[in-house]
Amino acid sequence: MSHIEIDDLTITYETADQAGRFVAIDRLSLRIERGTFVTLVGPSGCGKSTLLLAVDGLIQPAAGEVRVDGTPVTGPGRERAMVFQDFALMPWRTVIENVRLGLELHRWRDGDPDRRAQRFVELVGLAGFERHHPHQLSGGMRQRVGIARALAVDPEILLLDEPFGALDAQTRETMGYELLRIWREQRQTALFVTHSIDEAIVLGDRVVVMGKDPGRIVDALEIDLPRPRTLDMADSRQYVEYRRRVRSLLGPGDAAPQAGSA
Amino acid sequence: MTSPPRWAVSCLSVASVLAAWELAPRAGLVDVTYLSQPSLIVRSGIGIIATGALWRHAAVSLQEFFAGLLLALLIGVPGGLALGSSRRMRRFLDPPIMALYAAPRLALLPVLVVWLGIGLASKVAVVFIGAVLPIVINGAAGIREVEASLVLAARSLGAHRIDLFTKVLLPGSLPAVMAGVRLGVGRGILGVVVGEMYVSQVGIGNQIMQLGSSFQIDQLLFYTMVVSVFGLAATTAVRRLEERWRPWSRER
Repeated sequence: MSHIEIDDLTITYETADQAGRFVAIDRLSLRIERGTFVTLVGPSGCGKSTLLLAVDGLIQPAAGEVRVDGTPVTGPGRERAMVFQDFALMPWRTVIENVRLGLELHRWRDGDPDRRAQRFVELVGLAGFERHHPHQLSGGMRQRVGIARALAVDPEILLLDEPFGALDAQTRETMGYELLRIWREQRQTALFVTHSIDEAIVLGDRVVVMGKDPGRIVDALEIDLPRPRTLDMADSRQYVEYRRRVRSLLGPGDAAPQAGSA
Repeated sequence: MTSPPRWAVSCLSVASVLAAWELAPRAGLVDVTYLSQPSLIVRSGIGIIATGALWRHAAVSLQEFFAGLLLALLIGVPGGLALGSSRRMRRFLDPPIMALYAAPRLALLPVLVVWLGIGLASKVAVVFIGAVLPIVINGAAGIREVEASLVLAARSLGAHRIDLFTKVLLPGSLPAVMAGVRLGVGRGILGVVVGEMYVSQVGIGNQIMQLGSSFQIDQLLFYTMVVSVFGLAATTAVRRLEERWRPWSRER
């Protein structure tokens, strides 16, 4: 049994105009093995973020289902945690209080929540910034808080919705390697949405390419690059070949083909 | 060249207006009977304080103001938050609230007097009506303006209804509530004074009315300034509270 099983998932939205329903995702099926890092790449509007929200249980499918460890997902659960593109930090909470939020909401009893929050603040490299508020931090630091908040609840599945999409190219690259460093220690099953081809290849064990109208999976390819991934891999022939293939799968369109472009 | 500090500019501005005011009647440019003078106002102010009149009238006005404001807070804050949380309730209550907000509430004064008499209660009601609406309206707007992504993040982390309210919606809308309280304080002060002008036998508004009809401009202006200073102090205090609860916008 795969860790995450998505079967014939269809998600529709009410549209404001006319009486139509917009099909965001059409009969999508996907298997994700435990401990793998899967990246989802595709053009805007292909439903990749919607898929992530459905796996988290924040939106309900019109048909089909998502199963985690064989159990159908009906709502958010402690074994899954999400990192958002716009960080979604509570502006009135300090760094440590934001990291502690999930522990409070889950009524954490396994040890002192403050000590645990502190540990994850340190893990993401924010020691010394515990008492800062989000507005006092740079974008990259804010997303470190977002990652720490998600990891603190000890999830088995990490859902990342274009987490570095709001960052500049250089910070974005740094954060990608930072994420891999953290993930190496924890080895959650990770589902990472991006529209950067390079980000998808550098991070993923497997790149799932999606298409739109309606949202569906075009193809998936295994990335057989050794870990830990390094910067100079991007020059290898193998990498260039992966890149060419992902790009051709995406086809002509509005997917961002440039390195690090948002 | 660095510009002078803000407080210095403010002081200079106030000082020059006062100086012009003091000098214009002396120079024979205007009649002191109509315009009074800062020195005359200070002198009559000292008299009003010395006889205990200020405190006697202010005590009544303050009592009416704080009773009305307290009622407005007790009903307006939960009311506004509830209104912001429920779309159905909003649809139902929005039209009457907006109509009441736009209505000249002092026109209701005669009605309130018929119901509540000319004593304390009618003025408390005027303050309440003036202050409660901005608190309700801002509170409701505050709840609705809490960013959707914050609600999504909290739900993802396991928040249900009550946690969502206490840990996201409430702190997220607190600044808007406080902005409503600040508006309410201003409207409440106006309500006390005008209410007393028309239906009262004591209070600062009543004094202003009497002094006006007997044309004692020095004393009238002294009472008016007392009200202004109180209004400034009260709204500044609320603003301080607002900033304390909204550290993230203070340094913007």
